[in-house]
Amino acid sequence: MKRIRSISAVATLAASIAFFSYWRESTVYGANPAPPQEPAAASQSERKTTTVESSPTWSRDVASVLYKNCATCHHPGGAGPFSLLTYADARRWGPQLMTVTQSRFMPPWLPEPGYGDFADVRRLSDHERDLIKQWVDAKMPQGDLAIAPAPPHYDANWLMGKPDLILKVARPFTLPGGGTDVFRNFILPYPLKETHYIRAMEIRPGTPQIVHHANITIDRTGALRRQFPNDWQNGMAGMELMVDAGNRFDPDSHFLFWKPDTPALVEPPGMPWRLDPGNDLILNMHLKPSGKPETLDAEVGLYFTPDAPAKQPMLIDLERDDALDIPAGDASFVVEDSFTLPVDLEVMGVYPHAHYLGRDMQGWAILPNGEKKWLVWIRNWDIDRQAVYRYKEPLLLPKGTVLHMRYTYDNSSTNIHNPHAPPVRVRAGNRSEDEMAHLWFQVLPVNVPAGAPDPRLLLEETWMRARLSKTPGDQVSLYNFAAALAGEGKFTEAVSAFEKELSQSPHDVRTLTALGVALEGAGEWQQAQQRFRSAIEAAGTDDSSACDPRFDLASSEFRHGQPEAAAEFRTEVASCPEDAEALTGLAQIEIEANQSTQAVQHLTEAIRVDPSLANAHEQLARAHAQSGDLQGALAELEKAVQLKPDDATIHSGLSQVLAATGSLQQAIDEQRAALKLLDDDADGWNNLGVLEARTGHVPAARDAFEHALRLDPGHAQAKSNLARLQSQD
Amino acid sequence: MLRAAFALILAGMFQAHTSVPPDVGIDLNGNRVRQLSGPGIHVVALIFAATDCPISNRYVPEIERLNREFTKQGVRIWWVFPNPEDTATTVARHNQDFAITENTVLDTRQHLVQLAHVTTTPEAAVFKSDANGLREVYRGRIDDRYLSIGQERPQPQHHDLDAAISAILADKPVPQSGGPPIGCSIVPLQK
Repeated sequence: MKRIRSISAVATLAASIAFFSYWRESTVYGANPAPPQEPAAASQSERKTTTVESSPTWSRDVASVLYKNCATCHHPGGAGPFSLLTYADARRWGPQLMTVTQSRFMPPWLPEPGYGDFADVRRLSDHERDLIKQWVDAKMPQGDLAIAPAPPHYDANWLMGKPDLILKVARPFTLPGGGTDVFRNFILPYPLKETHYIRAMEIRPGTPQIVHHANITIDRTGALRRQFPNDWQNGMAGMELMVDAGNRFDPDSHFLFWKPDTPALVEPPGMPWRLDPGNDLILNMHLKPSGKPETLDAEVGLYFTPDAPAKQPMLIDLERDDALDIPAGDASFVVEDSFTLPVDLEVMGVYPHAHYLGRDMQGWAILPNGEKKWLVWIRNWDIDRQAVYRYKEPLLLPKGTVLHMRYTYDNSSTNIHNPHAPPVRVRAGNRSEDEMAHLWFQVLPVNVPAGAPDPRLLLEETWMRARLSKTPGDQVSLYNFAAALAGEGKFTEAVSAFEKELSQSPHDVRTLTALGVALEGAGEWQQAQQRFRSAIEAAGTDDSSACDPRFDLASSEFRHGQPEAAAEFRTEVASCPEDAEALTGLAQIEIEANQSTQAVQHLTEAIRVDPSLANAHEQLARAHAQSGDLQGALAELEKAVQLKPDDATIHSGLSQVLAATGSLQQAIDEQRAALKLLDDDADGWNNLGVLEARTGHVPAARDAFEHALRLDPGHAQAKSNLARLQSQD
Repeated sequence: MLRAAFALILAGMFQAHTSVPPDVGIDLNGNRVRQLSGPGIHVVALIFAATDCPISNRYVPEIERLNREFTKQGVRIWWVFPNPEDTATTVARHNQDFAITENTVLDTRQHLVQLAHVTTTPEAAVFKSDANGLREVYRGRIDDRYLSIGQERPQPQHHDLDAAISAILADKPVPQSGGPPIGCSIVPLQK
């Protein structure tokens, strides 16, 4: 099913460009004195005594603080506007270091301590702040260079070594020297013809000093590139984007957020993200003019892993854009939202987001036992320093927990960030002068029973229901809600929801198609086929729009034994040659018609297009088996099992092929794996009984036949096999 | 009456003509700069800057704008680089990078810093130029875009330097800076 998701490629800003100020009142430390000299005649021990008892020195105390907290950005070629690697650097900027650390402008870190236990906290400890202040007050002594720590090493290479794939913007972008901040979206098409899983990513903006932050959105369908056919190479202005999420339930799962002090984004084990042929990366950048025109030539380095995700996180958000209508001059405008979790889950990270009027941003959870857990609190929001915050340990929230957000906005003239002077009424929107109210979470559903439906579907359903309660007519939410219901098998409800959406746009190809799928699921296959035909008609001459409904029509005809299916699949493959599922569907018909040679050809093409399509591997195994190539069948089923380890049918098929090749014990293992996933399969228990009997495991065989008969007392083969076994006793 | 009196008092703060030292610095070719003003010049504006100061650099387009607007009205704008590490080579490269077209002087002895009583880059000092010499009438920030480190408006609301130059040219009382200059401290000379 096609689905659309509203995604904030949200413009975010991390404080990369640290501008240092100097207040006239601060002349006491503004005038950099000459570094105090060590007493020339002092011995080493005397020097140590002197420095220990007196003020901090750069060598002993301050260098390590700067290296740990500042140098990631402040090194030659780094994102910071100047380096802090040497004593001379520190002395040059010492007064400003004190100012920005005392005010906590630097290092950039917005969350209040104690309101969320985050990893990679950048907030200086009170001790570190005091050290810097004492050092500056003492006129910034160098101390004994011999005891200074070695500076960290930075070079211009990729931090994680050469990436497996480097994507570059189509054309360099020139940022003007002056003016306001710029939000720009660059499209980087994924050029490969096969799917890859991404374990890590690094962005190299080209000129990091002008980049506050970058945020990557995956455009699964290349929709944005089609929307701007003539301009996409130059990038498009804008802060937020909405992209089409493609035709399978594939919710956004990762914060692909970059800021200058975390240039390499490494995903947790088992949680890579995926790129398919035809996908685009949309690189949204917040740029700050430097005073001279700067050329931005960004590139993204991707690091692959062969392993598919073992865990499927998901991004959800609390949001109140609908409630944003902030009167001019209102210094304390509040919006709130809440959401009750339908499943147990772990929260891995949080991403608060507003624009320039946001001030106080709170997120918390009320557990079913009434306990309150803070998720994040930002008292002084600053869009320039926004970030994704990852928890030190995933935060377990049981089903029934209520997530809350409460954002306060300041649309008065005393808000220095207010883009309007004098203030004007502000509503939600994707320009920087509009506002937003979002609190995103990366969550991982846990405690999911084996064989249960994908818990993200229930999460999606509940999330969309919550959105619709706020904005009942929102088509994206309505579509995603209906699609989630259909995904969960709640077809009747899904039909109702799709019909509601269709009443708003009766000729929408996607909705007509999705409604057909839901009707088919509800058993109304004749109606379903009518909807598919309506969708094909609505698509008109646009072959690409007709791909999905024609595939669904062909599949329906195939399922219901209608001979038109073959012709429909052939039309589909001719007009949509990259449709791997259609190629697989056509091949299934060919297998049934004993045309294994043609089937192998189509399936090989399907796998070239989409190597991750388990069904294509499974069908190719069938085609090989049909032509007597058991080793070929075995190889394909093993790939299918890897791709879809929770599919009982594939394990069962593999068991049969293993049995045919004489590997009986492995066949038993696979059949047991299948039954572990699908315990109420009487045929499966009967097959296990046969395998056990063939290996001489009579009691196990008897147990298996009896199990089959308990599930289906009339199971003829199980009865006969059990009787035969008993006659041999 | 009160307002007029107030303006007179303010102006009175800067009544004394400044004695410009005969040697105000060197230009990027190493030649001594002896004159900040000249025939037909009514206003001299010094913009104290540092090549490594990000806020200072971000004001280059604004100074270019002011230069375009006022140069034909007898206003001469100078970029003044007072920091010891801003050598002729460094500043020349910087000016090329930022396409700076205004007059530039290296305040190698920080005479101009003392003359203008500035402490920060960027910071402006504006002098009225007449037959009696130079008289400082404005000193301070260029505009109110920055209120402190990390406190930055999307765009300025008050263009203090622009207003000061305009007032001089209109022979009106010169409004004073609405807040302290924000940027980087001027590095003192090693004794």
